[in-house]
Amino acid sequence: MTDVSLPAAELPVDPELGGPHTAPTAMAPQPVGRPTAIGAAVLRWVVLVTAALFFLAPLLTLARQSLQNVPAFLLGSDTLFKKYSLGRLTQAFSEPQFGPALTLTVQLAIATAVATMALLVPTAVWVHLKVPKARPVVEFMTVLPYMIPPIALVAGIKIIQPHVRWFLNSDFSLVPFYMIFALPFTYRAIDAGIKAIDVRTLVDASRSLGAGWGTTLWRVMLPNLRTSLISASFLTMAVVAGEFTLASLLIKRTLPIFQREYTSSEPQAGYALNLVVLLATISLFVLISVLTKKRDRARTSFARQMEKSQQVAVETSV
Amino acid sequence: MTDIVLAEEGRTVGAPLKARRSFAWMGLLPFFAFLVLFLIIPAISIFNNSLQTENGLSLSAMGEAFSGQNFEAFKYSIQFSAGAAIVGVIFGTLLAYAAATATRPKWLRNLVTAFSGVAANMGGLPLAFAFITLLGARAGVLTNSLKYFGVDIWDKGFDLGNTAGLIVVYSYFNIPLMVLITLPAIDGLKQSWREACANLGGTTFTYWRRVGLPVLAPSLMGGFLLLFANSFSAYATARILTDNSKIVPLRLAFFLGGDVKVGEDAVGFSLASWMIIITASCMALYWIARRRAERWQG
Repeated sequence: MTDVSLPAAELPVDPELGGPHTAPTAMAPQPVGRPTAIGAAVLRWVVLVTAALFFLAPLLTLARQSLQNVPAFLLGSDTLFKKYSLGRLTQAFSEPQFGPALTLTVQLAIATAVATMALLVPTAVWVHLKVPKARPVVEFMTVLPYMIPPIALVAGIKIIQPHVRWFLNSDFSLVPFYMIFALPFTYRAIDAGIKAIDVRTLVDASRSLGAGWGTTLWRVMLPNLRTSLISASFLTMAVVAGEFTLASLLIKRTLPIFQREYTSSEPQAGYALNLVVLLATISLFVLISVLTKKRDRARTSFARQMEKSQQVAVETSV
Repeated sequence: MTDIVLAEEGRTVGAPLKARRSFAWMGLLPFFAFLVLFLIIPAISIFNNSLQTENGLSLSAMGEAFSGQNFEAFKYSIQFSAGAAIVGVIFGTLLAYAAATATRPKWLRNLVTAFSGVAANMGGLPLAFAFITLLGARAGVLTNSLKYFGVDIWDKGFDLGNTAGLIVVYSYFNIPLMVLITLPAIDGLKQSWREACANLGGTTFTYWRRVGLPVLAPSLMGGFLLLFANSFSAYATARILTDNSKIVPLRLAFFLGGDVKVGEDAVGFSLASWMIIITASCMALYWIARRRAERWQG
């Protein structure tokens, strides 16, 4: 209430010209809550710049140790621009154990993505069409993996191990568990895709043209859901490419396991490998957001067109 | 749908109502069977093994897993996870608020949300190694730069595997996760509430105390719970940063890495049971908090 002395004439009267949103009289209090002062703007930029530094610094130092052909203890301000090369990376790639580890992880990623689609697409379509009542139950089930930490799940697997040794001995026994780890992400991605299209009409059209459920799923649902299916499989791949807990305790030679062992014996070449994995994961996520945004934009413009054509139809009929 | 309605009116079309409905539920059988097989059965067998001792069913192993050295591990884990969650909540909210209120570069907000989406899912090995190159004892760039100015942080007790170190590293995914949680809540704060508060004679402080924070509270609480569970159950990152089994996930892994004999190691499995109990209750509370938070985000 100290602002009463503020001369009213100095305030721009119109809120649209940048004036305060409150009534511009001398008696009105200063607008509150919204940071108007320069101090708030400074504070905001301090937060943003600090955040940028915090999030970029580890990536930059990782990149530097990976890409500079300089022993770590010589890395200082005077060697900042010297001897950049991809030598460490080729060194890591030519390690004999790298090939098999990468192959296994790629195979696991593909198998997990395909198996996830095969299980979740029919389930999500079925829930949408036939048992909408089951939606909360299914949604709850898909977030169950959040409640059981991976390391605890390993304990459970160790218990059942004696009974299913034939299964767990195979490297591909990791697939169902990786599906579980990715489930909260993948189900949401697929469900969002299904919500965005008119499933009932598509299914009815396909069925009335004589297609069975299999054909309907394969030739109608899959093409229509491709964006969310691609997102879901990229998410799966990101999960598989980074999974360490299960693979290390079940002693499978996946890429993350190789990464860890190799980095402890050859730190800088190992960092180079980690940098590549990190960049690959980041690009998967960037691709997902680009694809999803593109789809949503296409959807909105389509929806707008439909709206317009309907309006025209209404107007002409009137 | 139509024939179900007809069936309820007594004019049965097609199969009887009950049979049709259960047939519809049957379609979910593969999904449920999958979850039971690979998630529920392992989870139940953990509890089963922690409760079964030589003298039949007993809670003694569960008690033992929460006392002595194990209790110290839980205490340490819970303390540092709570610390990491609080740091994440504070800085995540600040960052989200800064991004939400900054109008000038239009791409700023998109950048912050897109980056948060990526970084919230980062973690594991590459992140741990990246922080070793930044803050590691021997070749960490920041460690050495600070040494140059006469501050040796590792000498002063900093360790990437200790509370402070783990909190710094976990913040890398906790803060972005918090941004994703609070941004919708911050967007839900309406300009008109500020004006209403001002018209009633309130100051900025009154606004935050009586309007802003109470509306944000469920989101902040939910964020805290999610970040806590996230930090509490993380394993891979911690495994790279430290060798000692001071925190529960590493302790459990140490036990699992040994020669596990089912039936004799009830205490070990009880560690896993307690982890599940703690994480699951956090997540359950998180869902309640989220429900409350969504009330203002229409």
